[in-house]
Amino acid sequence: MSKALPVPAKRHLPSKEATLFKELLTLYETRQLKKGLKTADQILKKFPEHGETICMKGLLLTHMGRREEGIDFVKKGVKLDLTSHIVWHVFGLIQKGEKNYEEALKSYTQALRFDKENLNILRDAAQLQTQLRLFDALVETRHTLLKIRPSLRQHWIALAVAYHLNGNLSEARKTLEHYERTLKNVADYDIEHSETLLYHVRILEEMEDYSEALSLLDVNSKSRAIVDRTAIMECRARLLSKLKSDEAEHAWRALIEHNPDCYDYYRGYFSNQGLSLENSSQEALDILRQFSSQLSKATAPRRLALTIATGDEFRDLAKSYLLSGLTKGIPSLFVDVKSLYTNASKRDVIEELAEAARVEFTPSSDTPPSSAEDTDPTIYLWTLYFLAQHHSYLGRPKKALETITIALEHTPTLPEVHTCKARILKRAGDLLGAAKSVNDARLLDGQDRFLNTKCAKYLLRAGCVEEASNMLGLFTKKDAVSPGADLEDMQSLLYLMEEADAHYRNGKPNLALKKYHAVQKVFNEIEDDQYDFHGYNLRKFTLNIYMKLVKWEDQLRSHPAHVKAALSASRIYIKIHDDPSIATAITSSPQLTGAEKKAKKKAKKAAQKVQEEPKKGPTPSANEDKGLEPVQPKDDDPEGLKLIGVSDPLEQAFKLLQPLTTLVTDNIDVWTVVYDVAIRRKKYLQALQALNHARALNVEHPEVHVRSMHFRQTIDTLPEEPPAPIGPLLKEVAQKVVPEGLSILTFNGQYLQRHISEPLAVLAAAKVAHGLKEPVQEVEQVVFGVLGEGTQLDIPTALKVLEFLTEIKSGRVEEFRSVCNKQFEISTVFKPLTELEALQKRTLSGEEEEKEEDISPA
Amino acid sequence: MNIRLARVDDMMGMQAANLQNLPENYVMKFWIYHAMTWPQISYVAEDHKGRIVGYVLAKIEERNENENEPQPVHGHVNSISVLRSYRRLGLAKKLMILSQQAMKEIYKAEYVSLHVRKSNKAAIGLYRDTLGFEVAKVEKKYYGDGEDALSMRLELKDI
Repeated sequence: MSKALPVPAKRHLPSKEATLFKELLTLYETRQLKKGLKTADQILKKFPEHGETICMKGLLLTHMGRREEGIDFVKKGVKLDLTSHIVWHVFGLIQKGEKNYEEALKSYTQALRFDKENLNILRDAAQLQTQLRLFDALVETRHTLLKIRPSLRQHWIALAVAYHLNGNLSEARKTLEHYERTLKNVADYDIEHSETLLYHVRILEEMEDYSEALSLLDVNSKSRAIVDRTAIMECRARLLSKLKSDEAEHAWRALIEHNPDCYDYYRGYFSNQGLSLENSSQEALDILRQFSSQLSKATAPRRLALTIATGDEFRDLAKSYLLSGLTKGIPSLFVDVKSLYTNASKRDVIEELAEAARVEFTPSSDTPPSSAEDTDPTIYLWTLYFLAQHHSYLGRPKKALETITIALEHTPTLPEVHTCKARILKRAGDLLGAAKSVNDARLLDGQDRFLNTKCAKYLLRAGCVEEASNMLGLFTKKDAVSPGADLEDMQSLLYLMEEADAHYRNGKPNLALKKYHAVQKVFNEIEDDQYDFHGYNLRKFTLNIYMKLVKWEDQLRSHPAHVKAALSASRIYIKIHDDPSIATAITSSPQLTGAEKKAKKKAKKAAQKVQEEPKKGPTPSANEDKGLEPVQPKDDDPEGLKLIGVSDPLEQAFKLLQPLTTLVTDNIDVWTVVYDVAIRRKKYLQALQALNHARALNVEHPEVHVRSMHFRQTIDTLPEEPPAPIGPLLKEVAQKVVPEGLSILTFNGQYLQRHISEPLAVLAAAKVAHGLKEPVQEVEQVVFGVLGEGTQLDIPTALKVLEFLTEIKSGRVEEFRSVCNKQFEISTVFKPLTELEALQKRTLSGEEEEKEEDISPA
Repeated sequence: MNIRLARVDDMMGMQAANLQNLPENYVMKFWIYHAMTWPQISYVAEDHKGRIVGYVLAKIEERNENENEPQPVHGHVNSISVLRSYRRLGLAKKLMILSQQAMKEIYKAEYVSLHVRKSNKAAIGLYRDTLGFEVAKVEKKYYGDGEDALSMRLELKDI
């Protein structure tokens, strides 16, 4: 269809209406919505079936907020004139506004059939193609744009980028070379040109054409065409290293001098010299000493030296590093050096040095405090602070508490000491005590949001959801519906995840699901955020960072919060599939506590207020442009009852897990949950693949062992073998998992023996035994093995064991609970529920009194 | 702590640090917008595990001839924060200096400006005494909670 066809009769307008239509388009472009509507109606009076006008009317109505009406008109208009590029363009705009990018692209493609050279439509199509990662199509579109308007710089750049995205580096490079040759009148100082050149260099580097990259870089940095000195230096150093040039050392040294705190530069320097920064090497150490004395303000070389040094040299360096940090009173000193503790002798040396410092700096009892001979009290305090963290980290909570208590008596007014105590208590299982300590810290500096956030987090860990919300409310927007709503709007993953976890632990899976889904929503928003930048960065010529953005967005859902939310939500869905009574108990009679009812009422009132406010204000002008995006629907499921009551929980879980199976393939938890869902959906191939992935990562891992045995058991007891090729394949793997001749029970027993001193493995073996319908007493016997001599039982594992014993309705739950309560002296998590609730009441009411004295921030 | 140019994958950490420390917060698109527009002038500090413990988010204001007081190209610090547990390492100072150097060198910024709460003695001390900022004016009720801001400025030709 290359020849321009005559305009079909139904589209043709006589000159008066044709002029009106042109006006209509302009009125839309300038968003004069009311006038535009009038104009449209004028045309429609004479030509009620003019598709293009009907579409424009629909578009205007949508902008005015009359969305349903508007979309109806648009659809009507499309039907009436299927070969008009305008109607399809309008339809595409509506779909794009709904973020329905696939459909929008279809509409745009249709539009382009009828107007091949429409720049607007082509550009929009290019953005959609980029968003949808359809790079072949993108290249074609960019080609077309360049052909139509080769004088526009952007069109060249856009084509190069399209080739690059499509993996065609050599065409990208050719395009840039061609473009640079045709450039005229480049100003002396042109930052866009500078960025373009850096992009060109980057492409050459990716093609591994290092010498060309280097010469392009050098020529243009000498001529000052490239203005970003740091980028030049970094690029040069990298390229020179890759070319094994003698100049590389100097290049890295120059970078280190430019920013002595950048560890990447040291790594580059040492890698270039063929030296490692992990293992001990006298040569590396000498170089670091040189850097340390040359760059006296930098900590990097001195810290790196600690990693490399050994023996007496390490002791000397550690002593001065430690003393320097303690003297300056650096709160992060411990977290800084703790990564050295993987080396047991270094850990011991540091403990020695810290203890020696403590002895040295202890204020002597017979000197009056104001004496000049008195050692600076703060060094003493920071030494105690360091030692408390040290002992806590090494699993000595009592010693840690003793130490921090002395520190508190010495200086009760330093928030850091209180937060340190809180962390010790948290690790030792006293979550309420921990929350109280953080609150003590917070009260010392009410203006500090960091302490407020920490306090709220500890309250959530202790299960005090409402108290946490009130706490957070001291810093959230006053006009928000609730503190949580504000934090959700501002995409606080920390808040959403912590509250979700708290709800889950509190036995409110519906509320937990709600928050896990809110996390999903945040990631959906962030994925959508990139859309505008597919055009924006081309206009700004910031190309290197744009390429990074696209790659980052591709990997977005591998973010730990997204993974955790998806897994936690999936686990809930699995639970309610296995036991539907959990869901029905919640949906049939939502049991709100008194406080929850109050909070619900309050939220409802606030929400009503927000709704009523617009009515009180001045009547919005009919010209107000509400844009093309649909208004956020009101939350019709605030308690997550619909979520928990869903009829296909496993399918919901499957949806959540999908992106993880491609993006997070080295995470055992992902594969075990994928297995759990797949096997229940009877998708045996999927389950098999997940199991294989997990086994490839670590076949002895407790969670993997459980699924392996479960798999074998499932396949053994299938009513009938699935058809080939699946059936035989399942049998084959089942035999691999437990070899022929061995029963699952025996194999499980062998596993238990192999890992008898590993509590999680013991628990796994018990779970398998239970799954094989072994008598409860036998299962309990296995479980109680975690309390044996030589096993290192920690609190999280003990809680998991407790959960399991509760699930199997063991008669020894209280026995286990009380043993743990004794063993973990400081903990409160093993106390019986009633005792814990009373403790919570007491702690919180103590906090309430203190809160009233609090100086609330402005 | 490692101090370097902010990267695209730092933005989640920068947003998280900002939400923890300050009541003035921004959605992710705002952070992306800064990175995509001025990728050379925002810096971060990270710990050994790669967590963002400090950041400076900066922008460039273009030359503006239209206003009553025409302003030359200048940099502006939109947000800067260091986690409380990582203070006393001079991170804020180092972040600011690196950012300022880049503003001057790449954008030829003549000065850099910022807003700070009138009551924030520690921050004002850093800007005025350590970095050499001067108070340009007071902006009444600048902050969401009604507090006044000091608008401060540092001439970059001197650094």
